[in-house]
Amino acid sequence: MIPRRVAITGLGLVSPYGDGVEGFLEHLLAGRSAVRFLQSDDKPKPLAMPFVSCGGFDAMATLGKPLASMMERFAHLGVAAAFDAWHNAGLDRTPSDVEERDDWACIWGTALGGIMAFEKGYRDMWQNGRERLSPLGVVMGMNNAVNAHLSIQLALGGVSMSHTVACASSSVAIGEAFRRVRSGEATVVISGGSDATQTYGVARAWEAMRLVAPGDEQTAPSACRPFAADRRGLVLGEGGAALVLEDWDHAIARGARIQGEIVGYGASCDRSHLVRPDPQGQSRALRSALRDSGLTPDDIDYVNAHGTATQEGDPVEIEALKRVFGDRAPALPVSATKSMHGHLLGAAGAIEAVATVLALREQAIPPTAHLSGRLDSACEGVDHVYEGRRNVPMRAALSNSFAFGGSNAVLVFAAPPSH
Amino acid sequence: MNAMHSTELISQFLCERLGASPESVVPGALLADLGVDSLMLAELLFEAEDRLGISVSAPMTTPKSVGDIVSLIDSLRAAQVVAS
Repeated sequence: MIPRRVAITGLGLVSPYGDGVEGFLEHLLAGRSAVRFLQSDDKPKPLAMPFVSCGGFDAMATLGKPLASMMERFAHLGVAAAFDAWHNAGLDRTPSDVEERDDWACIWGTALGGIMAFEKGYRDMWQNGRERLSPLGVVMGMNNAVNAHLSIQLALGGVSMSHTVACASSSVAIGEAFRRVRSGEATVVISGGSDATQTYGVARAWEAMRLVAPGDEQTAPSACRPFAADRRGLVLGEGGAALVLEDWDHAIARGARIQGEIVGYGASCDRSHLVRPDPQGQSRALRSALRDSGLTPDDIDYVNAHGTATQEGDPVEIEALKRVFGDRAPALPVSATKSMHGHLLGAAGAIEAVATVLALREQAIPPTAHLSGRLDSACEGVDHVYEGRRNVPMRAALSNSFAFGGSNAVLVFAAPPSH
Repeated sequence: MNAMHSTELISQFLCERLGASPESVVPGALLADLGVDSLMLAELLFEAEDRLGISVSAPMTTPKSVGDIVSLIDSLRAAQVVAS
């Protein structure tokens, strides 16, 4: 079978900035942080940490009560982001010919899934003394809730599945979706990721690993400082992001706006340690993605780094880039947008894929915020973008996601035809 | 016994959880038309058990309308009074 080209015809977000996809890029290009200081009212000890919240998102108003009542927050965020992307792609929720969508699919990514539903159940039983739990807890808590709802709501008759690969979940989902369109197995796939990271037990566990950046009301916005010498760790964020991947000819035939192209995907495992990243494993994913795309290091004009701002992770990622890009590395533009939108765990790959596609479409690279004058010498060797937006001609870009468990995923995007 | 009227509980549930308008919750209204599928019916009965102190044991005839479910809940409440 002749491989198909895969167009990106829709982008959608539940954005921490409170506006849509177009506004999202403007915030990133301006270096504007969405990180705020979170103080919850949780018991026994309230959360108090820098966090990225989608506080302005009203699930009931966005999705309608009947649908929203069947979900918990990770599904609210995911389904709303996907509906946004679907609308952005110019597709109808209800098809005139349902059989046309027999091979259309949904492939989603989430690290935590419906954990919030179960945590609520535990609290009800062990904290509030309830003996019974809502029957909806099962379908609210299942990790495939987003793709299940989307396949029903959008009449998608092809595969409906979710991938859980920690912080690489949605990059893996998008990569696997790409392969299904490229192979001709699916004409259209809605893909992306969502996670509700404010779940109490999850936030507490991350805190216990000493990987969460400290901060207060004043310092929270600059708490996440990837590649900086004074970086103190990651900032958790919640959200959802989605892309519509479509057979190129199908997109052209229906007159869709092609916003970008996905041209490669590579994945690997470090096969060495649960949490200590390995440049060799990451290099394998980078090389695999480049090989899959048919591009060379010289064709890549931007890398949206995994860049979580952990002490150990950032230098390893730079080392992997240097190994793969060789002489090109010092001129390779790199930025970590997590410095502004935080780490969305299973949705991180998806929101960064959206950022990368938008950067290519608009030919403007968003910076790593809070890096100016702070670059760690251990992270030198690439062209860090940190002084505001950089307007440069770009042909192709990478988006990296490197997960606990040693799972690595790299996506390769190309600029839309007008560029 | 809880003094809340069954109709009141059902109306509250349908309005708050499914966005139904209060005037649409009439005895002849079909539950399916109000957005109640099998999952939501289980949730509604669960809430009725919780708030009215009744026990709904399976198997039972699946209620189709608002009137059906009011009758079901009222009969269970009546049986509960007799039993106590």
